[in-house]
Amino acid sequence: MYGIERGSRGLSGNGGSIGVNSLLRVQNIDVFYGDFHALWDVSLEVEEAFVVSIIGANGAGKSTLMNTIAGVLSPSKGTIEFHGKRINGLMPYQAVAEGISMVPEGRRVFPRLTVLENLEMGCYIHKARQKKDKVLRKIYELFPILEERRNQLSSTLSGGEQQMLAIGRALMCEPRLVLFDEISLGLSPLVIKNIYQRVKQINTEGITALLVEQDIQRSLKAAHKVYIMQSGRIRLEGRPGELSSENIHKAYFGL
Amino acid sequence: MEFLRSRRLYGIILVVLGLVSLPYWASRYWILVILLFSLNLALSQMWNLLAGYSGLISLGQQAFIGLGGYTLGVFSIYYGLPISLSILIGGIISVLFALMISAPIFRMRGVYFAIGTWTVAEVLRILFSNWKYVGYGMGLFIKPAYKLSFNTIYYAALAVGIASVMVVYFILRSKLGLGLMAIRDEETASETLGVDIFRCKLNCFLISAGMTGIVSGVLYLHNIFIQPYSAFGIDWTVRLVFITIIGGIGTIEGPIVGSFLYVLLHQWLSEYPSVSLLILGAIAISVILVAPKGIMGTIQEKLGFEILSPRRK
Amino acid sequence: MLSILNELKVPITNGLLLGGLYGIIGIGMSMIFGIVRLVNLAHGDLIILASYLSLVAMTFFPVNPLFTLIVVIPVMCIIGFIIQYCLLNRILGKGMNPPLLIAFGLSIILQNLLLLIFTPDARTLLTSISVKTIPLGNFLNIPLVYLVDFIVALVSIALLSRFFNRTYMGKAIRAASDDEGAAQLMGINTKTIYAFAMALASGTAGIAGILVGMTFTFYPHTGPEYLIIAFGVVIIGGLGSLLGTFLGGLILGLAQLLGAHFLGPGFQLLSGYLILLIVLTFKPTGLFAKG
Repeated sequence: MYGIERGSRGLSGNGGSIGVNSLLRVQNIDVFYGDFHALWDVSLEVEEAFVVSIIGANGAGKSTLMNTIAGVLSPSKGTIEFHGKRINGLMPYQAVAEGISMVPEGRRVFPRLTVLENLEMGCYIHKARQKKDKVLRKIYELFPILEERRNQLSSTLSGGEQQMLAIGRALMCEPRLVLFDEISLGLSPLVIKNIYQRVKQINTEGITALLVEQDIQRSLKAAHKVYIMQSGRIRLEGRPGELSSENIHKAYFGL
Repeated sequence: MEFLRSRRLYGIILVVLGLVSLPYWASRYWILVILLFSLNLALSQMWNLLAGYSGLISLGQQAFIGLGGYTLGVFSIYYGLPISLSILIGGIISVLFALMISAPIFRMRGVYFAIGTWTVAEVLRILFSNWKYVGYGMGLFIKPAYKLSFNTIYYAALAVGIASVMVVYFILRSKLGLGLMAIRDEETASETLGVDIFRCKLNCFLISAGMTGIVSGVLYLHNIFIQPYSAFGIDWTVRLVFITIIGGIGTIEGPIVGSFLYVLLHQWLSEYPSVSLLILGAIAISVILVAPKGIMGTIQEKLGFEILSPRRK
Repeated sequence: MLSILNELKVPITNGLLLGGLYGIIGIGMSMIFGIVRLVNLAHGDLIILASYLSLVAMTFFPVNPLFTLIVVIPVMCIIGFIIQYCLLNRILGKGMNPPLLIAFGLSIILQNLLLLIFTPDARTLLTSISVKTIPLGNFLNIPLVYLVDFIVALVSIALLSRFFNRTYMGKAIRAASDDEGAAQLMGINTKTIYAFAMALASGTAGIAGILVGMTFTFYPHTGPEYLIIAFGVVIIGGLGSLLGTFLGGLILGLAQLLGAHFLGPGFQLLSGYLILLIVLTFKPTGLFAKG
């Protein structure tokens, strides 16, 4: 009916139903950075096993939105529900326990820890520690270069490798939803293509992905649904195939 | 506004007149209280100038206290110079010492600066303790000060106390003060606007050193006996830090309030000096947690009320 | 050449051994400074507090002070945890000054509390170790207590190193010190982590306190002396590595005893201070700083 690939739900495998369950629901949130009103009445919905993309220029509020979902910021108004549970106001480390993991903007790998230690930090929460070796093997399959460099200090990795490390790290705790914040920043087109292929691979295993991207074309290619933000508001939403180029550009630039 | 300002000015003049006339109508106890208050006020104003306005947390003011006191002792005892001159030289020597260490010290930032200043004072302490000329660790009795009357010392203390407030007030209203305000609000931005940060901070450092040296001279007129362990000890700074924090760092009125409270507390608990310091420490911590701007700072913030405003109107 | 070495063999050996003690004194401060970005001005007083705790423990159980480690370390850890969790965590991120001043306040409170409880008399953790010397062949005699200090310090630092490299908590502490925000995104509750780091640092202060008490006399006011030593060790050795701090301790110890040898015993502390000032002026990040 939708003509879009969606894999079975979760790595543990749960039969693979094709219901459109809403995993994340953001309703009418306002977010302030100190005195600065960053997000205005923002709502969005991410269905399970979807890839949803948030597009917008610099300063549109995309990262603010991501940070709010992850718990770094708190909405002054509105609610965020994850799998039916209210999560606005949770601290980031609590959001992780709920099953939300973030690949932060700028990668932010721990420079003085090795690749392996970085990955281990990804499964710091107690539930994940027992499954560490199993999940680690899967991550190494996904990103073989990480296994190769596992004992190197993460600061010695290239930009693309650090991005892979950041993604791998976020996956270590077997999250249901992964937030990808500007993963193509500072990387060459070939590397970006490579990384997006992995993201698609991750998604086919059932993990829901919420992406933030400045690159319109790439977002439209990768996502099942897109939101276009400008000046802290959602201007447009819809499936990539259904949105006209003209409308997208109007929304992107706030015209 | 003008009317209010002159009312404030009259009030201040009245208070000062009252203090000047104190020996004629008050008990010796209260004269002593105001004497100690004035000395502590002067010292903490100078610490406040550094910490509250220049952003330099110094834990080494005791270096200048020791230098000032010893200069008084050496010049008045060994060279028979008049006391007022000896005290003045104490200030000059303090400034020179400050200038001498400014090159290495100003390369240190933040906590490094704090520990660096403290270490310098400790170095002085050890040097003076091992110096035959000043009587090693046994110290000096400043005999020429014996002949001074209690009231004379009181007036000297009052003079430096008032002078310290005026010095800070006029610095803040001057060009140097503008620079300091700019630095306080936004250091990097002010640098791009041509404020010579190093110069500003250095000048404050020198002024504060000199004043402290002079105040110390008066202080040791009162204490009579000076020895390296206490003269160069961190205890001086401890009290200045607490006074300024509790009173209100970065305000002119802060050290006034803080010094007064300190002296009262100290007198009240004079039997138990450790207890007074303990209480002071506990109050200081509470203040930092609850009202980090101190008493006067919080009052200023909430009520917009300033007695001695350095702001240009 | 040989005769110079012979003349210097005592200050060099003693300097190195004492340096070990200085290393464990500085480790706690190095941890807090490197991890929480806080300078604990009360570190020296915490060390002396531990000395007094050991003293108290010994009045109940007349044993070798080293056995009191069993009691003193946990108590110090708890104290450190509470200080961080209840006091210092509140003013994290509000600038460098408030934590500095609170630590200062704590230092004064501790000193005066100890003064009230224990009076200003000099104390020491007397044990037979304190006076014996061990002969090293015909070469020289080493004060046994210095040797014990060195070994305990070395073992402690080695254990600490294992902790940071092999355990989840240790790596989490390192991660939080690299990037607090990213650590939070991993599910690490950084406030609790900082409290554990402080607990650990206070534990090392506990070890240092007992060693100090065995080696020197102490009063309620000796804290600041050890604070400056700790700071000196951290600055000389540089932030970011346990080994660096240990080496910093060795250098400080050497500097002090060589200074005392050439200038006289009154100048032992002075030599240490001068080295500290020199390093502060020219290379504040330390001689062995990492990254």
